[in-house]
Amino acid sequence: MSGLPILSLIVFLPLVGVLALLVIPGDNHRAIRWVALAFALGSLAASLALLGYQTDGEEFQYRESLAWIPSFGINYLLGVDGISVVLVLLTTVLSVVAIVYSWRPIQHRVKEYYATMLLLMVGMLGVFVALDLFLFYVFWEISLIPMYLVIGIWGGPRRIYATVKFVIYTLVGSLLMLVAILGIVIANASAGNDFTFGYEALRAANGAYPELLQALAFGAFFLAFAIKVPMWPFHTWLPDAHVEAPTAGSIILAGVLLKLGGYGFLRFAIPLLPDAAHEFAPIIIWLAVIAILYGALVAMVQPDLKKLVAYSSVSHMGFVMLGAFVFNVQGMQGAIYQMIAHGVTTGALFLLVGVIYEQTHDRQIAHMGGLNARIPRYAAMFGLFTFASIGLPGLAGFIGEFLVVLGAFQYSGLVAAATMLVVIASAVYMLWMFQRVFFTVPSDWMRQFWPALHDINRGEWIALAPLIVLVVGLGVFPGPILHAIEAPVERILDAVSTSGGLAILPW
Amino acid sequence: MSGTDYLNDLFALYPELILLATTLVVLSADLFLSRRAKWLLTPLTAIGLLLTGIGCLFVWGVNDTVFNGFYRVDDLAVFLKVASVVIGLLAVLFVPAFLRQRSLPLGEHNVILCFALLGMFTLASSADLITLFIGLELMTMPSYILTGFHKTDRYSNEGGLKYFLLGSFASAILLFGISWTFGLTGSTNIADVARALSGQALQPAHIVAITMLTVGATFKAAAIPFHFWTPDAYQGAPTPITGFLSTGPKLGAFALLIRIFAEALAPLRAEWLVVMSVIAVLTMTGGNVVALAQTNVKRMLAYSSIAHTGYILAALAAFAGATSSELQRQGLEAILFYVLGYAVMNFAAFAVVGMLQRDPRRYGGLGSFAGLASRAPGLAAAMAILLLSLTGIPPTVGFFAKYYVLVATIDAGLAWLAVAIVLNAALAAFYYLRVVVYMYMRDAEDEPAAIEESISGTLGLILAVGGVLALGILPSAIVQILRASASSLL
Repeated sequence: MSGLPILSLIVFLPLVGVLALLVIPGDNHRAIRWVALAFALGSLAASLALLGYQTDGEEFQYRESLAWIPSFGINYLLGVDGISVVLVLLTTVLSVVAIVYSWRPIQHRVKEYYATMLLLMVGMLGVFVALDLFLFYVFWEISLIPMYLVIGIWGGPRRIYATVKFVIYTLVGSLLMLVAILGIVIANASAGNDFTFGYEALRAANGAYPELLQALAFGAFFLAFAIKVPMWPFHTWLPDAHVEAPTAGSIILAGVLLKLGGYGFLRFAIPLLPDAAHEFAPIIIWLAVIAILYGALVAMVQPDLKKLVAYSSVSHMGFVMLGAFVFNVQGMQGAIYQMIAHGVTTGALFLLVGVIYEQTHDRQIAHMGGLNARIPRYAAMFGLFTFASIGLPGLAGFIGEFLVVLGAFQYSGLVAAATMLVVIASAVYMLWMFQRVFFTVPSDWMRQFWPALHDINRGEWIALAPLIVLVVGLGVFPGPILHAIEAPVERILDAVSTSGGLAILPW
Repeated sequence: MSGTDYLNDLFALYPELILLATTLVVLSADLFLSRRAKWLLTPLTAIGLLLTGIGCLFVWGVNDTVFNGFYRVDDLAVFLKVASVVIGLLAVLFVPAFLRQRSLPLGEHNVILCFALLGMFTLASSADLITLFIGLELMTMPSYILTGFHKTDRYSNEGGLKYFLLGSFASAILLFGISWTFGLTGSTNIADVARALSGQALQPAHIVAITMLTVGATFKAAAIPFHFWTPDAYQGAPTPITGFLSTGPKLGAFALLIRIFAEALAPLRAEWLVVMSVIAVLTMTGGNVVALAQTNVKRMLAYSSIAHTGYILAALAAFAGATSSELQRQGLEAILFYVLGYAVMNFAAFAVVGMLQRDPRRYGGLGSFAGLASRAPGLAAAMAILLLSLTGIPPTVGFFAKYYVLVATIDAGLAWLAVAIVLNAALAAFYYLRVVVYMYMRDAEDEPAAIEESISGTLGLILAVGGVLALGILPSAIVQILRASASSLL
């Protein structure tokens, strides 16, 4: 490592921001917002330095290493590969978007709000750059508590129920994952290696563990990450959390937090336990297919706009899981691309739902209608992201879904066919929603707001602008990202393809 | 034993002597200080305890048995003494405001507290079962008095009496176990007992001895099914004193468990391993399930302290299940780290409950926490950190303590115990976070309880929260010390 510790800078600038916020008087909202934005932008600026990532260079770049708890083989070990780089960039961009968007809607307990958002950034970014499993776990848990507060303090009427459900679900999974991590570390040490939490060392030793441990540890990892993704049937916390979360909370939740689960599979569960991953893949693929179908079908009947987008997330994240576990380059690249695209698209959709909700304090689709006539620019933007979500070619959603289906086709024609049908279903629920909200005649309920209704204002445009650029850019130029994630994906697939099975499992 | 030998032995008792001197000075000072100057007792006791702590440094690394094999000054004992001093200091800082508000005598409290600490010191250093028993009584007698310290409060009286009756009963059972052990081995010296036991085939008499000792010791540690005294005693006692009761005597109980089980009964490890594991799981699960149903934070913390006992017992089981001395040491380290971390976070949490209890009609109901984040942001943030630490969320000491226990149990081949621990931790998150919900996500009651503010209480809280975070972020600072302490036993 030479020069600036760029990754530490990205991760801990927001933490410095939290400390800076503590000394600002609580009623000076203006200063608080600007300081929070400044530190988030600082982190974003620092993360842009990662664009210098060498796609044909070493596996993990920008490495940093410091001894932390040496007696337990725990180090402060950071590094990024292509997958981490794109997710870090997604996180910093969406965090800035969320902070900018919150400018007007958040009017009470402003200081605590921005401190919480910055702390959330620390946790999320840390997860994506940690190369030590202990450190990873610490960041993973750190990202949990701020979200708990964001939903619980600034959320809707049933916020406490939703946030407690969110925390307990996630905590059960993550604590079992901790046991799994310890199990792997200890098995690795008792196989004659060092007692270490270092990711690369543990990955190099894969297969050396007892089969029972591999199966159980993978199960624990699966539970932790599947709850986070969330995968059917562990998704039930998600609609509640989304409906109750404030808009910015939803943007981060859908945009980044769900990706922690997908990232966990790709970075930890699969490479550390390739044999088990191989064995469990068929089950996970079918669960993913169910999730894709189920999410789409349930989204179709949602009366609440936000809940509809939330269930569409279940469906879209199902694509991520499907792509990750068909174990071919197209599928896995598609999965990662889908994570990015979903982050941008769904983040933007939640933001847009927030725009109308701020004015009417209602999200019932039946209460809307005809908005196209009153606020056309809003309708246009909503349309753009609706089409991106459906997967219209030329917009972000298409690349990921196409690659995943391509990958799935190599695995099984049946799976590919089933998912392809759902792409049609997603067009049905999204377009039907769009029609009911923006065309037809406005409901009587909506008419009372009619004169006061305003189109997207300047602050909202600023928040939305980067997402508009990204949704088109990602759709037209997939090359750079696909190129950046190619080598890491191939490494993961190498590990899986050389893996044996587990005799202990009944199938 | 010649006079010079005797004097030499006394040097190993530096900390005890300083503590005793402190006790006597405070006792006399209390007599002469006018009512308005009584507050001086707080700094006076604190300085005495700090000196005691410094005295501990002089006997670090001595590792010697003095007074004809009755008293052992090893690093393990020194560590436990320093931890006791930490608990004592927290008590000295947290209790005065509460007592002043209710016109209870500060001097008596500090003196009784110091005697209890002296009992903990003796327990930690006992090399003989007789010393052990004396230490135990020296610790618990003052604890009974402290429980009933609020003389005019009937709950305090009830708690004190219950604690006294059941505690004496348990002491008697323990003593009975000690006499069986003596019958089996012909000695009360802990090292001799261990030597004698390692050569013996297992007989029913051994089972009787182990059972009696287990019942007595787990009673003192408040493990299920011998926990019934805990909630009433903890709820009845003046709240900051409950903080002491839930940490000080608990530390003493674990010193006792280590000396009896990890030292005297170490050769019979395989016999008590299963019993200890089962008690551990029962204790953590039972404590958490009942805590879940509590709406009173004080009672909730009382039950949750039972759950924490379960986690520490799991570490003791890990010691018993370990196959190498290195892994045994790890189990002991986990006990020590957990006891220290738990003491700081739990004491401070009780202290916060006490600070919100200015109105005597309120007994730490959840309602008194409602909207605390807007009324007193600093206090709410401190309590939130303490609760997260009790839950076991990084980067706090509570997380690393759980991590330590988990590593020890998995390493000892008791992975099922580790799974039980984490499932319990998730269960506990539910009720700990409920308090956070009240503090941050609900509005205050119409007439919120006034907050007991005092310089010493604030100082104590800052130190405790600072310690919780510091040990959570940089646990390696004391890992070497733990390692030395634990290896002095093996």
